[in-house]
Amino acid sequence: MNILDHLKKGFTYFDGGCGTILQAAGLKAGELPERWNTEHADVIQGMHYDYLLSGVNILKTNTFGANIMKFPGEGELEGIIKAAVGNAKAAIAAVESRTPLAGRSDDFSKASGEHYVALDIGPLGKLLKPLGDLDFEEAYEIFLQTVKAGMACGVDLILIETMNDIYEAKAAILAAKESALPVFLTTAYDESHKLLTGADPRTVVAVAEGLGVDALGVNCSLGPDEMMGIVDELCEYASVPVIVNPNAGLPRTEGGKTVYDVLPEGFAASMIKIADKGARVLGGCCGTTPAHIGAMIGEVRKMEPKPLSEKQHTLISSYTHSVEFGIRPILIGERINPTGKKRLKEALRNDDMDYILQQGLLQQDQHADVLDVNVGLPEIDEPEMMVKAVSQLQAVCDLPLQIDTTDPVAMERALRRYNGKPMINSVNGKEEVMKQVFPLAKKYGGLLVALTIDEEGIPTTAEGRLKIARNIYEKAAEYGIKKKDIIVDPLAMSISAEPESAKITLDALRLIREEEDGLTSLGVSNISFGLPKRDLVNGTFFTMAMMNGLSAAIMNPGSMEMMKAYRSFCALKALDENCMDYIGFTDEYEALAASAAPAAGSEAKKPAAAVSYEGIKDERLIPLVDTVVKGLKEKAGALTAELLSADVAAMDIIDGALIPALDIVGKGFEAKRVFLPQLLMSADSASAAFESIKDKIAASGGKQESKGRLILATVKGDIHDIGKNIVKVLLENYGFDVIDLGKDVPPELIVETAVRENIKLVGLSALMTTTVPAMEETIKLLHEKWPECKTCVGGAVMTPEYAKMINADRYCKDAMETVRFAEEFFAGMPC
Amino acid sequence: MDNTVHTYIADNDALLIPGREVARYLGYSREAIIAGDELIDRTIEKVKGIMAGKAVYCRYPLSFFDEDGIVMPYGRIHSTQLRENLTGCTEIYLFAATIGAAFDRELTRARVRSLADAALLQATGAAAIEAVCDDLNARLEMEALSEGRKLHRRFSPGYGDFELDNQKGLFSVLNPSKYIGLSLMDTLIMSPEKSVSAVIGVEG
Repeated sequence: MNILDHLKKGFTYFDGGCGTILQAAGLKAGELPERWNTEHADVIQGMHYDYLLSGVNILKTNTFGANIMKFPGEGELEGIIKAAVGNAKAAIAAVESRTPLAGRSDDFSKASGEHYVALDIGPLGKLLKPLGDLDFEEAYEIFLQTVKAGMACGVDLILIETMNDIYEAKAAILAAKESALPVFLTTAYDESHKLLTGADPRTVVAVAEGLGVDALGVNCSLGPDEMMGIVDELCEYASVPVIVNPNAGLPRTEGGKTVYDVLPEGFAASMIKIADKGARVLGGCCGTTPAHIGAMIGEVRKMEPKPLSEKQHTLISSYTHSVEFGIRPILIGERINPTGKKRLKEALRNDDMDYILQQGLLQQDQHADVLDVNVGLPEIDEPEMMVKAVSQLQAVCDLPLQIDTTDPVAMERALRRYNGKPMINSVNGKEEVMKQVFPLAKKYGGLLVALTIDEEGIPTTAEGRLKIARNIYEKAAEYGIKKKDIIVDPLAMSISAEPESAKITLDALRLIREEEDGLTSLGVSNISFGLPKRDLVNGTFFTMAMMNGLSAAIMNPGSMEMMKAYRSFCALKALDENCMDYIGFTDEYEALAASAAPAAGSEAKKPAAAVSYEGIKDERLIPLVDTVVKGLKEKAGALTAELLSADVAAMDIIDGALIPALDIVGKGFEAKRVFLPQLLMSADSASAAFESIKDKIAASGGKQESKGRLILATVKGDIHDIGKNIVKVLLENYGFDVIDLGKDVPPELIVETAVRENIKLVGLSALMTTTVPAMEETIKLLHEKWPECKTCVGGAVMTPEYAKMINADRYCKDAMETVRFAEEFFAGMPC
Repeated sequence: MDNTVHTYIADNDALLIPGREVARYLGYSREAIIAGDELIDRTIEKVKGIMAGKAVYCRYPLSFFDEDGIVMPYGRIHSTQLRENLTGCTEIYLFAATIGAAFDRELTRARVRSLADAALLQATGAAAIEAVCDDLNARLEMEALSEGRKLHRRFSPGYGDFELDNQKGLFSVLNPSKYIGLSLMDTLIMSPEKSVSAVIGVEG
């Protein structure tokens, strides 16, 4: 019987722990247990054999850490895996033929009839980028080698276990799926019932089922009693069978020996409860022995497993949490989409990722549940930019994303890289498009947005749109994509072009809800295209759409009219407990209304003691200077926007207010009257003011003046970049154009960029003594290849002496000194 | 004595992150370090809300060879300064501690949003991991005291001539990535960022 049929039939039993058994047999600290497959095959076979006698069905091969990073020698990994699978098969053969191992006489009465070998794959021991240094594709390749070696030996399934990062689990699952074997996943949760990188059980279910695992569950870290809450959540959301392999409680030292505090009887008693919750694949992890597993099987055998059922929850997720559709309408922030947004277009063209990230974080603050990401512009490489935007957004923002593109290459690459289960925007009723998109959605998982348009165009009736939706559901099912993973967009079109269009869309929403019990989504604001004061119409249309069953809206969460409609709707429909969100919203609403009024008074909490503004000639600029000195970021942006709309020139604001304000704070810093956080809050405020200026300049199609261009980089091997970022922001505030190469930058890249961009000043930062040689190497290479370029260096380990020793042209002790140096340097240069 | 690695989980409520330490990391001058800096206090509360202080540790027998040779559980090494630190010891603790990945994410977010927040977080995170190490150290000290022994000062790879390369050995025996999600990058820097690994000598 195939393992998957076995799962359907009833309970299936995994074996238990391995580490404690090997330690008792003499495994030393730091010794790789996988080597014992060849060096002590008798011990490994004996362990498998004992587990089989206790009644288990699935043996985990002793290959937890078997990967090419640990076994890099030619054929070494393959040899270890071959031996490991061989040991498991030998034990099975002995038990199935009732042949006791040498020197033993055993009772075979408890051994089960069906046995399977699971290729066991554990985590790689390295964190994936952006948290660590292992690239996702590299991780995939490493797993793939282990998978291939296992396949060559003929295993029955692949078990990916003890994963504590959902992203690494995704790489492993994708590699394992290449084998076409059944794939099981178990992850290790900590005492707060989350993975170490933050995902909760519901999120793991969303991601793993999206990727097509055949069974999923929990192992290691906790004892069975500490796992109860996790098992509840897994059983509530998972449609595939749930696996539970706990530790025998927690380890403690007793007389120099490690003992686990849950004994076989107690373990069995807890596993009965776990089976009763609906788990049907049961076994053990650290500290469990054949006695634990035998006791468990003895008890659970007497029970009837809970029936498997298809769960109807529609989930998407980031790497920490999931969002469920069909309860309250979900808000999808539309701001990362260049259509009609000049500032974003400019950012995409200039590779200004910070702007994109800020748009993401801003929408998160404005209570978006999901962010739409669309970076399609004719003049940029969309697949590359899409992957970059998705990766970088996921490094700073934990909202799930909606990958929005018509380019199948961009879609596939982004889906592959995405950490979680995304929304996919979009598929439609055209055969060609369905053929392209469905295989991707099936392979990587995701909630698919389905537009009701096909070869004939957009139907002018609600029934016509329903028909396309039905066709998409049907075709998707042929690919194995479930209806719950499709959300239909019946398309909102401008009422200024087609007067009936809102009515048709609203009817279509209702039909899809009533006839198909389907989920729906809309790009709400399209309805008002071509009309003045669009927000007013949008807000009302949004309410009408929600009344007709809308499950998600692509919208601007910064629009007060939209949020007014949304918060009121949720409160009125009892979707907002105690109206708490509504009440919270009213505070924001009032604050916004107040800040829209002319600036008056000051909400400053920190008095900037005895600051004199006598140097400021233009009186209109004094409030802005004061705001930057006090470090009030939001207000600085708003005041600058006001000044600009009152026709004060951008350069006058920079030279007359921002730079003098920074100078006041900078001098205080140099005199040690002001400390770093205050200096930085002022810098943040000045940046906010610059953002307003950039918005204005982008809108008028102009370009900002620069006082000089330079490169900044943290040198190779060093990942600390806060100091460098401080220098960057201050330099930018003072009007310099900074090419920021980031952290851990190889010397070659710095030199190459300097030559290509004709840069005359390079700033290098290093925080650790170990990376000073990299700095020296960079300077040497610069001198060699680009002698007209000067260098200034800084960072925690730098001293003027060190700087001299490595031939830097200048040592700058902090950000202010770097600004002064840059001013001095570029003053002497022809522009 | 066996090699089972133990996990320690810090109690955030009981953990003391001193504001003056944060101020020191921020480069405040000595005179400026006064209690009750509102910004710093707020950041400490924020960090306590997101940090997950955890460590793995294990005790091993210790012996020496040559003039500066030390037999570590992962192999034989040379270091005059560590040898000096371990004089009189018969065992060592190895430990690796972290305040978790959520802190790194918050710091990355702050880098985009606000430099002031990033610098404050950075300094507070540094003080937080020190606080976790101090707390763990105190626990191990109790353990040692109950056996009538005492601990030496903790000593990390990268201090003096105790080479950073020892990180590899420490990680191979403690396996912190499995238990507390702490991993070693190719550069021998740890990830999550705010993490510490060290040796503590047990005397007597």
